[in-house]
Amino acid sequence: MARELPMVAAINEALHIAMAADPTVIVLGEDVAGGGGRREQGIEEAWGGIMGATRGLLKRFGPERVRDTPISEMGFLGAAVGAALTGLRPVAELMFIDFLGVALDPLLNQAAKLRYMFGGKARVPLTVRTSTGAGLRSAAQHSQSLYGITTSIPGLKTVIPSNPADAKGLLLAAIRDDDPVVFCEPKSLLFVSGDVPEGDYEVPLGQAQIVREGHDVSLVAFGRTVRTALDAAELLARDGIRAEVLDLRSLQPLDEAAILATLARTGRLVVIDEATPRCGIASDVAALCVDRGFDLLNAPVRRITAPHAPVPFSAVLEDAYLPSAERVVAAVREML
Amino acid sequence: MIVTPAALPMATPVAMPKLGMTMEEGRVLAWTATVGAAIERGQPLLRVESEKSDFEVEAPASGILRHVYVEPGTVVPCGTLLAAVTATADEPFDPAAFRLAHDRRPDAPPPTTAPQGSAPPGVTPPRPAGAPPAVTPAARARARELGVDPAQVPGSGPGGRVTREDVEAYAASRPRRVAVGGGVAIEVVAAGSGPEVLLLPGFGTDVAVFARQTPTLSARFRVLGMNPRGVAGSDAPEANRYDLSTLAADAARLVDHAVHVVGASLGAAVAIELALAHPERVRSLALLAPFVTASPRLLAVLDAWCRIAEEASAEALATALLPWFFSDRLLADPTAAARTRRGLAAILSRVPPRTLARTAAGLRAWSGTRSAMLGTIAVPTLVIAGADDLLVPDAPALADALPSAQRLTVAGAGHAVGLEAAEIVNAAILRHLEACTT
Amino acid sequence: MRPLATDELLDAYRKMRTIRAFEERLQELVMAGALSGFLHLYTGEEAVAVGVCQHLGPRDMVASTHRGHGHCIAKGVDVGGMMAELFGRRTGICKGKGGSMHIADLDRGMLGANGIVGAGIPLAVGAALTAQIRRTGGVAVAFFGDGATNQGQFHEALNLAAIWALPCLFVIENNLYGEATPVEFVTPVRDLAARAAAYGMRSDIADGMDFFDVHARAGEAIAQARAGKGPTLLECKTYRYSGHYVGDPLTYRTPAEAEFWRTQRDPLRRFEERVVADGLVDAATLRRIDREVATLLEQAVAAAASAPHPDPEDLVRDVYVRG
Repeated sequence: MARELPMVAAINEALHIAMAADPTVIVLGEDVAGGGGRREQGIEEAWGGIMGATRGLLKRFGPERVRDTPISEMGFLGAAVGAALTGLRPVAELMFIDFLGVALDPLLNQAAKLRYMFGGKARVPLTVRTSTGAGLRSAAQHSQSLYGITTSIPGLKTVIPSNPADAKGLLLAAIRDDDPVVFCEPKSLLFVSGDVPEGDYEVPLGQAQIVREGHDVSLVAFGRTVRTALDAAELLARDGIRAEVLDLRSLQPLDEAAILATLARTGRLVVIDEATPRCGIASDVAALCVDRGFDLLNAPVRRITAPHAPVPFSAVLEDAYLPSAERVVAAVREML
Repeated sequence: MIVTPAALPMATPVAMPKLGMTMEEGRVLAWTATVGAAIERGQPLLRVESEKSDFEVEAPASGILRHVYVEPGTVVPCGTLLAAVTATADEPFDPAAFRLAHDRRPDAPPPTTAPQGSAPPGVTPPRPAGAPPAVTPAARARARELGVDPAQVPGSGPGGRVTREDVEAYAASRPRRVAVGGGVAIEVVAAGSGPEVLLLPGFGTDVAVFARQTPTLSARFRVLGMNPRGVAGSDAPEANRYDLSTLAADAARLVDHAVHVVGASLGAAVAIELALAHPERVRSLALLAPFVTASPRLLAVLDAWCRIAEEASAEALATALLPWFFSDRLLADPTAAARTRRGLAAILSRVPPRTLARTAAGLRAWSGTRSAMLGTIAVPTLVIAGADDLLVPDAPALADALPSAQRLTVAGAGHAVGLEAAEIVNAAILRHLEACTT
Repeated sequence: MRPLATDELLDAYRKMRTIRAFEERLQELVMAGALSGFLHLYTGEEAVAVGVCQHLGPRDMVASTHRGHGHCIAKGVDVGGMMAELFGRRTGICKGKGGSMHIADLDRGMLGANGIVGAGIPLAVGAALTAQIRRTGGVAVAFFGDGATNQGQFHEALNLAAIWALPCLFVIENNLYGEATPVEFVTPVRDLAARAAAYGMRSDIADGMDFFDVHARAGEAIAQARAGKGPTLLECKTYRYSGHYVGDPLTYRTPAEAEFWRTQRDPLRRFEERVVADGLVDAATLRRIDREVATLLEQAVAAAASAPHPDPEDLVRDVYVRG
């Protein structure tokens, strides 16, 4: 049975399910309870996270397992790593992925590498939930999509859902995965609704999904850009061009087989990524196509990304910053 | 009008020309021909203004001005598709698909809506002048698989880039040679996709005689033009004669199931033989100027044909045969007659004299032996004949002998009715095929 | 604090002697070209590691620094495995994948040496969080140097431990130098323990060259932590005999200074003087331990030098638990 839920509610549901099933799952981060737990003042719930993703957890699971942290990303992420190393399964929140700058060492040099450096004895079953992306007029320091950085670090996994059902399933899978997983929540999708199945289910890491079939061109997208790709496919269909849309869902592990399979079907591929163009997922996918799919290429591989610039505040500029269906359509026409 | 047989039958594009190194774009001033009108090659179609001058753009081919893409007043870059010319007014034509497939222009500068972040195509370094068009990796790989030389393939991609589809279309349209047993290979020229239609040409000709049928039919069917043994690229094994039973057996080996069959003149006779001897291969019959008993005049013309082919040029042969194939109407038009003679000569030159002798002997032996059996042919049949056909005057009587035959007599057309009255013939054949297919 | 029993004293001495012998042997091996990579030796600081770790058991965790061999040995990590790890062999405690700066054994509660200054401190805080939530009764100890007390991670971790009253002990090994820079050049306070006040945390200062002083003060702090009374910052004033790393030209301090600490303040000599003077242990026993330690070391070196190298497949093994 499915009901319509916004993505943030689907995430909340996953957290409730994970914490109920496993007492070692704890949640920590800034404002995850949001000042709650002061029963004597009648303030039980408070924020439940800046977007409400962690609402209800403090009340249900108590202050030991749901902890507001100081604004100390290195401190509490490092502590989350230490806790994961010693038997807990923490879900830490890095409120905006832009804050990676003040939090990178615990992920880069500790969580990602301890298992390898210790010869396989350690495991770090840590999940870091973080919001990504632009579109909310939050300007340059709260709108980035830095999953390219986390994807590039061996030892970390990075996933990004495009719809509420996948958000719930991917988060449950991420929490239960024994490796450190960065779970990206595209902030422009948090209040977009979709059907979400009830109960406990997982979307496997490393598995992309075809969300629209076609034969003329492949549109590879993830997170926010899946909607962009589907809109572009509709526009192209009016001219008889049938586009196939592949939702990556998982950036590391990357479903390389699915990317090469769709390229084999169509011979033409466009990657759509809302991040900036250098050293990113779009370039990674394009390189894969040229490296391992060379004889399948019937047209150049096109990358539709943000420009090499910070995210502007002005609404007009920010709307031009993000990949649009029109840009995708224009690129496809040049490929035919 | 005879279409050169080697070319893929397609509409002809009219594009904004690039006059000189510095011309980047031109403005369409006015169209001087109207959509739907018949036009001649070289006739002015539109006036264009460039930075340097005004000039006229001429029609690259004769036919019908079928579609105009750019309105007067519009400025477009060189290479932009302006219009399409088709051979006939009624052949299938899809303006959007044609533009997609044929719109060729040099790598365009980035659109002014500035899609920042997608690497503008303009920054790709241009190919060196004189370099052949690019071939995509997929096209190259497919070309290797199919044994095609990519340099021979016309490219429909941006900048004339050769795509995998281009390679496949090229390979599909190349004549293939099919083994029919006894060490003999028969040449088949294929086009289009859909249910199969086998084309059997007449005495001393090759599949190019169907040049006005192939574009229409290949839009909806897979057309397989068979060059009989001894003709063009098919093997010419030693023999005293090529029996019609042998020619029919060859045709039967080209397919493995029942197909539509269209035959002209001797080809119609082979089609009848096929329906009698190999009924499991025949789904329907369309017979152009058919016979089961050759008239004395026909046999005399064949004798003359064989003799002139041995002693004189193909042009001389074509001059001699023209009045036997075509009506007064065409013969009265010197331009049309000259054009037709030239096309005919090209076809005739591809059939060596020995083939003519062997085939004529086979035809003599077959003539008259099948008339009693026509009643057993049960498949849907269409008989088309020109009213002025001098060589096969009693085609209507043949139609009467066939149990399920439709007949069509075309006024003002001679023995080569498929060439002289192509629109009418094509429409009739399509109706006949579609009725069978449903 | 109750006085130590004889076997505890002997165990303490054995550990300190093992650390001293291990580190000195490494110095020789590096000079002989048998070992590669950066090695940071703990010689002179033995009393700190052993004084603290004597209070720790299997459910207690230790996080260390780049200068971590002493903490490993004090926490009971196998010396043979450590030596093989330094030789980069498959039989190493980290299968040759970690080396000196990342040497660890989670089975012994040793959360690893760490190549990032200050990074071990939040890890220890996390371990303490686990202990608190799972009610293990365990404590987590973070060892780090004077230089680390200027790192952001130090401040964030202490604040967090204080606010959540975690069972931690933070041990500053103030050996007067952060790499080549004297501590007074970069730190505005003389006693680093004073930094605890900023976090409302208990603090103490020990003579890091005196096993008994370290042992007593560490014992106090650990008892408090186990009792749920929260963390303590314990500054141990100590000195490293070696350079920052093996091969350090030591141009930033005088030979006289190092000589003073070696001859006047040496922890092993002071330990022996006290236990012999108090009649707790006789010198001959200590000599026997010295010989046993020497033999252990030789065996470890011989085994490590002839142990197999890792397989090429180990290159990409253990990046992930799965996938």
